[in-house]
Amino acid sequence: MPAPTVHARFSGSRPGRLLLLLCLCLSLPGGSPADLAVTPQDANQTQENSLTRMPTGLKSSPEPMTTARTVNRQTWGGSISDHLTLGPEASTPGPDLTTLEFKQDTKLNTSNGFYVEYEVLLSGESGTAVVKNITLDSAVRIELSCKLDDKYSSAKVLQVTWKKGNETIGHINKTENSWSIQLTISDNSKLGSYSCTVQGEEKFSVVFHLQVPKIDVKDKPVITYEGDAAVLVCKSPGYTPISWTWYMTNGSEQIAINDSLLLDKYVINRVFPNVTQLKILNLTSKDDGVYWCEAAFELGKSKGKLKLKVLSLMVPLKPFLAIVAEVVVLVAVIFLFEIYSKRREKRAEVEKEFDQIEQLKSEESNGVENSSTRHRKV
Amino acid sequence: MPSPANAGPAPGPPDGGWGWVVVFGAFISIGFAYAFPKGIAIFFKEIQGFFDTSYSEIAWVSSIMLATTYGAGPISSILVNRYGSRPVVIFGGLLCGIGMVSAAFCTSILQLYICVGFITGFGLALNLQPSVIIIGKYFLKRRPIANGLAMAGSPVMLCTLAPLNQFLFDNFGWRGSFLILGAILLNCCVAGALFRPIGAPKTQSNEEAKEVLKEGVAKDAMEMNSSTNIPVETKTEEEAKDCCEKINKYLDFSLFKHRGFLIYLIGNVLMFLGFFAPIVFLAPYAKHIGIDEYSAAFLLSILAIVDMIARPATGIIANSKWVRPRIQYFFSFSIAFNGACHLLCPLASGYKGLVVYAVFFGLAFGMVCAMLFETLMDLVGATRFTSAVGLVTIAECCTILLGPPIGGTLIDTFGDYKYMFIKCGAVMVLAGTFLFIMNYYNYRMLAKEKRKAKEEDPKSVRTESEGRNNLNKDTVQDGPELEPLREEQERLKKEVNGTNEV
Repeated sequence: MPAPTVHARFSGSRPGRLLLLLCLCLSLPGGSPADLAVTPQDANQTQENSLTRMPTGLKSSPEPMTTARTVNRQTWGGSISDHLTLGPEASTPGPDLTTLEFKQDTKLNTSNGFYVEYEVLLSGESGTAVVKNITLDSAVRIELSCKLDDKYSSAKVLQVTWKKGNETIGHINKTENSWSIQLTISDNSKLGSYSCTVQGEEKFSVVFHLQVPKIDVKDKPVITYEGDAAVLVCKSPGYTPISWTWYMTNGSEQIAINDSLLLDKYVINRVFPNVTQLKILNLTSKDDGVYWCEAAFELGKSKGKLKLKVLSLMVPLKPFLAIVAEVVVLVAVIFLFEIYSKRREKRAEVEKEFDQIEQLKSEESNGVENSSTRHRKV
Repeated sequence: MPSPANAGPAPGPPDGGWGWVVVFGAFISIGFAYAFPKGIAIFFKEIQGFFDTSYSEIAWVSSIMLATTYGAGPISSILVNRYGSRPVVIFGGLLCGIGMVSAAFCTSILQLYICVGFITGFGLALNLQPSVIIIGKYFLKRRPIANGLAMAGSPVMLCTLAPLNQFLFDNFGWRGSFLILGAILLNCCVAGALFRPIGAPKTQSNEEAKEVLKEGVAKDAMEMNSSTNIPVETKTEEEAKDCCEKINKYLDFSLFKHRGFLIYLIGNVLMFLGFFAPIVFLAPYAKHIGIDEYSAAFLLSILAIVDMIARPATGIIANSKWVRPRIQYFFSFSIAFNGACHLLCPLASGYKGLVVYAVFFGLAFGMVCAMLFETLMDLVGATRFTSAVGLVTIAECCTILLGPPIGGTLIDTFGDYKYMFIKCGAVMVLAGTFLFIMNYYNYRMLAKEKRKAKEEDPKSVRTESEGRNNLNKDTVQDGPELEPLREEQERLKKEVNGTNEV
């Protein structure tokens, strides 16, 4: 029984900066831009796409059915600005590709600024909600749209609701089979979860999570020793924050580390625009604990947690001494065994010689001539 | 007729008994020597962030270590010639331990180069050569098996070290890990303690030594490809020879006149240009064609596991009576096979293709490694092997170091990995073919010499020259305790006319 498909698409515009994503269709073998379908609305727009990495996982929804689809390819009149961040391909969903996302961002030479388009095509069993995470770091005009596949145009659609959290959004733009809302995301309060519910014979829902970029940190604790220095690194891949701040926890409080505070103890380096480094010198056991790095974006702040462990030198010294002791014992055992077996051999030889001498003596005394060769021990 | 002194003919290598314990010790020693430089790569990222350097500067640590391990070969050989395997390995183990422990307290990248690169590298060199040498002393008939088993130490240690290093790093950071690794490397001393010296004991009188050497002399006469009637040397000639022989006592440079040795040297130096690069670039290549990191790492595990099995298996095959006399051909074949694998790699598409490639590569790699030293022993014999291995490793050192960077340059220039594979494959096929042809020529020449020696000296029991069987040559145990008394050999040569043969 074929499952109905629902296109969910959102598009947005954004002034200023350029952020681009291109997620190619991976469910199709050797997916290529050629597979991208051009929707009627976008026909007169051209666009250039480039690749960056999507910081937030796109594989958020565990849909049982997979669809593979690609999404629009849009072309716009403008040109890509110089701030292109080219990076590795977008994270590829696993083999059970359930959804495909395609997000593009181009510069449009209009007064509106940039436009972000995001289309997700999914088909799943009715009732299961599709969840999409969208990462935004600066102010953007966004259009989110839910589009119903053409084959269901005949189906009766009773109701389409757009909600932010629990609050229903009033003005929905309806075109043919798609329902969209336009939003201007200008500050933190506008971020959140937006959901679209299409109620017809069956119910489909899509949830868009609009979030600030996540910080990339090492999840294992950083291990250092007293008197040593520690380097804590936070990365924000793909997005450049406006500023970074570091916090250390004192009990349950978070205290910001001001450079001016302890100049010879803490050094904060911004190695790259999206990488920050906190160097802590002259470590003591008091420096052990949790550290936070906070990246400030236009649309909000994002935190990363780092654990620092400060050990004393005694800690690795114990296994070290244990192993050295083992080595010494083994070497001693081997040498002793060798000496012992050599002595045993010598004793055996001496006894043999002794026996031979006895034998010869007795032979001589018996007057037996010895013409045979003497046996020599080899 | 029994010989007057206590010894009849010197006993042949035991080919068993304590020999297997020695193989175990060599297994550990060789394993550390080969696997350790690769194993510490896990720490590099952290150290790089700590010292604020680029990745290539950190990678130098590994390169210096590898270079020192191979480059210090001759020094190792000289020391073994002088003192024997056991003290050298124990000293090497101590040196490794000291190097790593001091590395734990390093405060700059330069200090790391010295401690980890030079000191530990030198210690590993003092581990590697003696282990290989002592196998030649303990085994003859079963030498290929012993070699295969001992060389299997490398993949086993690598598979053990990788997760162990990760565990140590997660719990102790890089400094603590270096400290503990220093202690672990001290286990090489244990391996060294197992290397009981073998050969005529030092306490033999000169008389007995001469007796023992008589057999060696007889063979040496054949060996030198000269007529059996050695002319009486003038005094000056003897003096000059004394000096050369003194040097040769420590490091046998006369090997450069040895045909088999030269063939081996040229072939191997060529081969190493393309030997290690594919391993270095296998995981990046896999990631390049879209495979995720864990599967790419798994490819290397597959390679290591197949390698582990291939080495002893190759040893057993090489020991069989069909292959042993023609072991050089088998070696050339395995090199060419290795090259063919690389040439076919670009055709592999997708993960499954790469898995197949990894399996065949592991097999070929294991085959070559298992026979690497066995063939050299076969060509020069156990007595001269000590020096031969030192000279060979220092020559290989250059190409080993050049291989991966050349591959890397090819990849960077063309943006495609296939040229690197083609280059490696072509080089190895060329090396394999060269070795095959030259060894065919060598075998023929040896057979000719054998026939000549037979014709000229029919009474001599030892009519076999250093032909396919270097067995006879190896029955004389020239341990380091017994310095090749070449001057006496020269004098004794005059007696050689099939007399006093046992």
